[in-house]
Amino acid sequence: MKFFFYLILVLLLVPLQTTLLPHLSVWNIKPDLGLVAAALIGLFAGELEGLLIGLTIGWVLNLFSAGELWLSLLTNGGVGLLAGFLGRQVSQVTSYSLGGMLLLVSLVSGLLAAINFKGLDISQMWWMVESIVVPQACFDGAAGAGFYWLLSRRFDLTRLRTDRMDGLF
Amino acid sequence: MWMAHSSSPYGTRRIALVCFALLLVALFLFPNQIQGLSQYLGGPVGYAVSVPLEAIASIDTGIADRWEQYVALQGVREENQQLRKENEWLRGQNSRLRESAAATERLTALLRFKEQALPTMVAAQVIGRDATNRYRTIILNKGESDGIKPDMGVVTPAGVVGRVVKTTGVSSVVLLVTDPNNAIAGLIQRTRDEGIVEGTQQGLAQLKYIPLLSTLRDGDRVVTSGLIGDFPRGLMIGTITHIDKQEGALFQSAELMPEVDVSRVEEVLVIQTSYGQSSKAGSGAELLEKPLP
Repeated sequence: MKFFFYLILVLLLVPLQTTLLPHLSVWNIKPDLGLVAAALIGLFAGELEGLLIGLTIGWVLNLFSAGELWLSLLTNGGVGLLAGFLGRQVSQVTSYSLGGMLLLVSLVSGLLAAINFKGLDISQMWWMVESIVVPQACFDGAAGAGFYWLLSRRFDLTRLRTDRMDGLF
Repeated sequence: MWMAHSSSPYGTRRIALVCFALLLVALFLFPNQIQGLSQYLGGPVGYAVSVPLEAIASIDTGIADRWEQYVALQGVREENQQLRKENEWLRGQNSRLRESAAATERLTALLRFKEQALPTMVAAQVIGRDATNRYRTIILNKGESDGIKPDMGVVTPAGVVGRVVKTTGVSSVVLLVTDPNNAIAGLIQRTRDEGIVEGTQQGLAQLKYIPLLSTLRDGDRVVTSGLIGDFPRGLMIGTITHIDKQEGALFQSAELMPEVDVSRVEEVLVIQTSYGQSSKAGSGAELLEKPLP
């Protein structure tokens, strides 16, 4: 059951991210749903599953992007792992804390990507940071917080993050 | 059951962390090998993902078409579409005729005409955009099984779109001409000065490394030089809008307005064999004239 859920998630993330989200982009910036999904899985299923599913999402999304593989794996796998740690160490995870974590991870990932770009001078790099990296980080943070808030309206998330939610789905 | 917090033993978590770290180290140490392995393993995954991807893309296209045909002004829309296509074709034709005229002069002087073959092309449909915001790419519904390989040029009748950077069995990723990571050999049609066309962060393009003595001016057209890469000579890239000549610099550069509106492109042609390598024209090749020698 869990395997099929993850399989469908990974298969549907690509068309969602590449075909549907461009219609919902604001100032040509769309949120990274892979990052949000990896974070939520890490938070609810633990750091190990967060890491593994994050790596899978990063790898599959990278097949349909010109981006660097290492950055995609590091970002998505890392966020799943971090969210798992967050879920284990922080007693009361809120949509704000998850959104803040996603914002930071997205910011670091965007800065790494900007540094990795070939032939960018300082002004171009600054333009990329203020026009793409920062808005994208805000968007990712908001999307993560929004999804978490929606889930918290539907489910008892404290229970979801423990072993007591057997049979919910 | 599945959403339950997995209480994985501490040892397992530690092994996972070590594996993650090792994977990243391997990626830094052997980037090409790991990328190759990823592409190889991604073949079947590409097939699996292409099913929902194409389904959603066709639904998306269908909804967009219906919306534009029935909700928007139907007659005006069709007429506009027709005129756009005609305009694109004429612009491409005009560019090629200019190139033909310039070439004819040179060839007449040389008194030698060499028969050249048409490049083989495959028509493909755009089914998506880059999964991130950091790169300007499009995803095509044709891949390795259709003979598409990395570094192949991608064009429309109006001009250059970009080049293929990644492929799976049934899809490929095209880095657009407006992406800063792209580089195409260009030629100013009027002055015959060569340079390298790169994308800019703002979504335009720039021609770099133009000789200082070049007499280029705003409005000059830039075409592919055909010297490097898989583009035949004479394909329109863009028009010069601004010249940047700095004191003490070894070269001058120029800003370009790309000929193809890459944000709206829906169908493209992938050049499978570069100029002079093919003996017959493939599908869609009739859209382009015979390349110049």
